[in-house]
Amino acid sequence: MSLHPLTALTAACCAAVVTTAAASWQLSVAVALAAALLAARAGVAARVLAAAGVILAPLFLSLLVLHGLFFLEGHTVLAQWGPARVTAEGLGFALELGTRTAACVLLLLLFSFTVSVPDLVTALAARRIPPQLSFVLASTLILVPAMAGRLEKIRQAQEARGLVVGRGPLSRLAAARLQAVPLVLGLVEDAGLRAQALDARGFGLPGPRTSYRQLQDPPAQRIFRAAALLLAAAAVVLRLMTAWPTAVPS
Amino acid sequence: MADGGALVSAASASARIRSFSFHGDAAAALRDIRISFLPGTLTAVLGGSGSGKSTLGKLLAGWLRPGHSGVMRGSLALGAERLDFDGGSGDPRINPAVWSARVGYVPQDAAAIISTVRSNVAEELAFGLENRGVPRPEMIRQVARVAEQTGLSGLTERDPAELSGGELRRLAVACAVIAGPEVLVLDEPMASLDAAGASGLRNLVAGLLDAGTAVVVLSQRADVLARSAGRWIILDGGTAVADGSPADLQEGAALRDAGVVQEGGAAGMPGTLPAPPALPAVLELRGIGFGYGAGTPRGGAGPGPAGDPARAAVLRDLDLTLRAGEIVAITGPNGAGKSTLLRHANGLLRPQTGDVVVAGTNIAGVPAGRIAARVGVLFQQPRDQLFERTVLREVSFGLRRLAGAGAGDRAQEALAAVGLAGAAQAHPAELPSSQQRLLALATVLARRPAVIALDEPTVGLDRPGLERLQHAVTGAAARGAGVVMVTHDLAYARANAHRVLALDGGNLREL
Repeated sequence: MSLHPLTALTAACCAAVVTTAAASWQLSVAVALAAALLAARAGVAARVLAAAGVILAPLFLSLLVLHGLFFLEGHTVLAQWGPARVTAEGLGFALELGTRTAACVLLLLLFSFTVSVPDLVTALAARRIPPQLSFVLASTLILVPAMAGRLEKIRQAQEARGLVVGRGPLSRLAAARLQAVPLVLGLVEDAGLRAQALDARGFGLPGPRTSYRQLQDPPAQRIFRAAALLLAAAAVVLRLMTAWPTAVPS
Repeated sequence: MADGGALVSAASASARIRSFSFHGDAAAALRDIRISFLPGTLTAVLGGSGSGKSTLGKLLAGWLRPGHSGVMRGSLALGAERLDFDGGSGDPRINPAVWSARVGYVPQDAAAIISTVRSNVAEELAFGLENRGVPRPEMIRQVARVAEQTGLSGLTERDPAELSGGELRRLAVACAVIAGPEVLVLDEPMASLDAAGASGLRNLVAGLLDAGTAVVVLSQRADVLARSAGRWIILDGGTAVADGSPADLQEGAALRDAGVVQEGGAAGMPGTLPAPPALPAVLELRGIGFGYGAGTPRGGAGPGPAGDPARAAVLRDLDLTLRAGEIVAITGPNGAGKSTLLRHANGLLRPQTGDVVVAGTNIAGVPAGRIAARVGVLFQQPRDQLFERTVLREVSFGLRRLAGAGAGDRAQEALAAVGLAGAAQAHPAELPSSQQRLLALATVLARRPAVIALDEPTVGLDRPGLERLQHAVTGAAARGAGVVMVTHDLAYARANAHRVLALDGGNLREL
């Protein structure tokens, strides 16, 4: 399967827009499952799910605390401790928001872990996107693997000097705290030298650029992209035209 | 100095640096340097660690720009064009993209020049042409030509992140060469190359000289490439202390005083070491088998593509016994598995078959952090070993748990042993690379491990650095530590080890 990177990007973004517009937890769960399934087929399930866990766990926790316990519009009280009330509406709202976010996060992670960065840069350059912008985008996509590689090196260096990383979450958290500062400082330091190297290779030059790599963009994929964009636009319009749901807090 | 008017007009480039200082530094990093480069000539700029070689190279190539990176007084000339700087706001500005097309620079860390957003060698080569808007048919021609010239023709479809050290160095040179510079500056090009990589690079330089490029080599070793230069400039403390032909300078005091390593054993002690007393073994590798396959990240190679096919075994049924007080050297070409072997000693890698026994204890299942109390490893890339904010914090990391109240003294002692006592508050990343390696060595020494494993310890060390290394190694062996070092420098190995072994086909044999 050779998807043009823009086709993959359009598919991921449109699916996220439609899921958000539909605001149905059943659809969100279905989309999240589909994304996880596709990730498994592409062989990146472990990385996608791990990254999603890091992003979503704190979010779910805060949703549960904010809406599960303190949802002002809630009527059906399930339990109460002082000002904190667990209401059915609050839990429902947390569920809806949580699954929707999970679906969007999984879709975008699936895209970023499967897209070929060089293909994406080529595709963006062909559409006259400023190269600096597409480089930033590409660097962001390779940042996660680059960070993982650097973290591994820092961990090895620390283990070689007596850091014992246990299996428990507390031990891992303590190790992560020791690695965070070196990681950020290392990335910043890398960036400085890389900027000089990019400058030397003409990256800052204004004017037209050419592309060595060539991409196939079959007509079927162009039609698919147009259709997906139309569908997403239609979903948004439909959403705006139908009545706002009553339970949206301002 | 031979710097007459006629010479300047024929030169590809020349520089007159009265002074250059980085913003915020009171002292000048460079002063009183006059150099010029003629087309088709090789010049070697030699000097010890911190002598200002890299600063000079970057300044010549526009990686450091007067006004932008620091204050410069003097002039830079390219062909007939000359820029004068007096450190004021009216100074001319250098456009790095335009300048570097005429003066190429290949940094010490060759990986730094790679864009990281290209999927294969051919596209990486084309990156500089794309930015300059070269039409695609012309790009294809130039990529093929430069790949041929730099010996990369067979590698154009390879992922740059997967290249060996020697291949990466050639790619970095090719990326600079493809812009067609009149002058090419190579910073420590021979460091960490094995014999095959070094001869490939020498051929490449010879080809560039034939094509009329002025090549400048910055090095702290008077190695075979530097010895083939027509002219040497010796830097010490940021200034040129001698300038002339290699024949005139190689026996002189300037070269020695500047800390340049004379290749051929100036740092090693003559002859072989006397055999150590037969003490008990501190490290035993028994029947070790190991290969990189799917799911086993290769140390230092960065993230590989998903679904990498399983690779062949790197180590096969390998045995090694290291006794207390013994110094063993292991040699072999790049990619033979030397670093892989060393990483088994402290549990950073685990054998797929066989056992690793440290001081009588099998380390299977023992966390690497606990093995670290008995085994210290000096990594191949010092930057991979250093992660703290100051030199002192770096040496002190994890030391208190090991040495308790004596940690502070041990840290100071280790820094003094490698000559960094005066740099305790410096930032490790800002040290010259030679001192970074010595700092990494200090972090190992401070822990006084029973086994010291050194991965290419001589790379990038100047003469004083090599002396400190040798002192540290013999000192550690004398107090009963077993030392195993991996090096591609056979002469150093012979002069400084009790036994020399070759790693070949996944196995060790006596040399």
